[in-house]
Amino acid sequence: MDFFYTYIVLAEIYVLLGLSTNLLVGIVGIFSVSQAAVFGVGAYLTAFLVMQTSTPFLVAVLLSSILCIGLNILVTLPSLRVSGDYFVVTSFGIQLLATAVFTNWTGGTGGANGLPGVPAPWIAGHEFVEPSEFAVLATGGMALGCIAFWLIMRAPFGALLRAIREDELAVAALGKSVLRAKVSAAALAGAFAGSAGGLYASFLSFIDPSSFDLDASIFLLTMVVVGGARTLAGSVIGPFVLLALPQILALIDIPSSVAAAARQLIYGLLLIAFMLFRPQGLLGEKL
Amino acid sequence: MSAYLQVEGLNKSFGGLQALRDCSFTVAQGRITCLVGPNGAGKTTIFNAITGFLVPDTGHVTFQGISLDGRTSQQIVRHGIARTFQNLRLFVDLTARANVLAGMQDHVGEEPFTAIFRPFHTARALAAKQDAAMAVLAHVGLAAQADMLVRNLSYGEQKLLCIARILATGAELLLLDEPTSGLSGAALSDVMALLRRLQAEGKTLLVVEHNTRVVQQIADDVLFLHQGHLIAQGAPADIIADPKLAEIYFGGAI
Repeated sequence: MDFFYTYIVLAEIYVLLGLSTNLLVGIVGIFSVSQAAVFGVGAYLTAFLVMQTSTPFLVAVLLSSILCIGLNILVTLPSLRVSGDYFVVTSFGIQLLATAVFTNWTGGTGGANGLPGVPAPWIAGHEFVEPSEFAVLATGGMALGCIAFWLIMRAPFGALLRAIREDELAVAALGKSVLRAKVSAAALAGAFAGSAGGLYASFLSFIDPSSFDLDASIFLLTMVVVGGARTLAGSVIGPFVLLALPQILALIDIPSSVAAAARQLIYGLLLIAFMLFRPQGLLGEKL
Repeated sequence: MSAYLQVEGLNKSFGGLQALRDCSFTVAQGRITCLVGPNGAGKTTIFNAITGFLVPDTGHVTFQGISLDGRTSQQIVRHGIARTFQNLRLFVDLTARANVLAGMQDHVGEEPFTAIFRPFHTARALAAKQDAAMAVLAHVGLAAQADMLVRNLSYGEQKLLCIARILATGAELLLLDEPTSGLSGAALSDVMALLRRLQAEGKTLLVVEHNTRVVQQIADDVLFLHQGHLIAQGAPADIIADPKLAEIYFGGAI
């Protein structure tokens, strides 16, 4: 059963990341390829806080989210000056920079060897060690994220973000601040990614840079493409489908080294197939 | 008493091209003023300068006695001036109603904090705005198309929606960039009727217009622009009757 709960917890954490990526890439149209970097900062900061300063779990996740709000605003700001394709390159640079820091700052992150021994969350005297227990926390986190996302999408803020994706200039001509809306969206996406990072580090108790590199960012984009852009349902189903794949491959009797390569291959093929034949994803709209 | 809208000594160069050359004029309140002139005369540049999309090299714009110099496009909408675009710039993947809603000001829940933490307040306020948006759509004759995606509307309906969207901002001075271009027959008369109706309701209109018949029928005042400079101003009949202007407008030796 742990096998099943592990899948559920990871998928739920990735739903938060899917919401983050969908908000920026799908809804506002800021094509970020550095969301995994923000996710990583959330994970490392939570790990640092609970291991080195004995900060309570929830406080650590909250602080990580706050830092990631600021960080995501910073890394998204170039999108206000450079648009479209140019921002992708900028964002690519940010991701490479972050990977370099995660890998080489051995004092803070443990470098390429990773950071072991992140304690399981303690909340009100209860320790969430087992995957089935952690699933309660992850479900709660995912539910909060989904509710926030749903409320935004039905509020005028969601409409404003959609309008910005279509035509920034027209939005400005209607007396709306494009800057403020983009900064708000980046802040929210940062909060989602930061809290996902905190949950991730506490759940796995071991983190290393491979979870937060460019491949990871592209994986997040794949979730949005497969699930579908701009909808809550799409953000939820994408991670559940994509994370089921390694589990299914694990059931087939093939060596794990082959399985890892097969997984990457299948992810790549899915990305191409969806863009060509179903650009709206499973339950969303066209990216 | 100062004019309703006063444009004084605007100059704007793009590299070697002088788009506006000491351009000055006034627009009177409650009237339809048509801005005419050959392509490249600087008509859209003037719109950009008035609405804060472009900072002129020199010159001033004053609206109801308040200087608009250095204001952003957002601030200028708040002062009561809104503009349409020649190439429409509608949000084509949204519904007609959502386009009008996007034009409305002071939306509750247009930032995430209120949207998330005061959902009921946001929903109630939005419901009221929906009614107001429907009223605006009905006003331009698009009530039946409210929930259609804009990309599925006819060109004439899209042109009307452009006007509806800026009406939703509550602006008093409407700058319309070629509201009738590409239209004929019923669609053309719909737009012209709407412009007259807006005037009757107290709006002031500054309209870029190429069709001389439309100008004759709707304009109270005509401003004739050539090479970024205002070269004539007057009643439509006088401007159109002037052979020198006709030659500039329709081409020929200068």
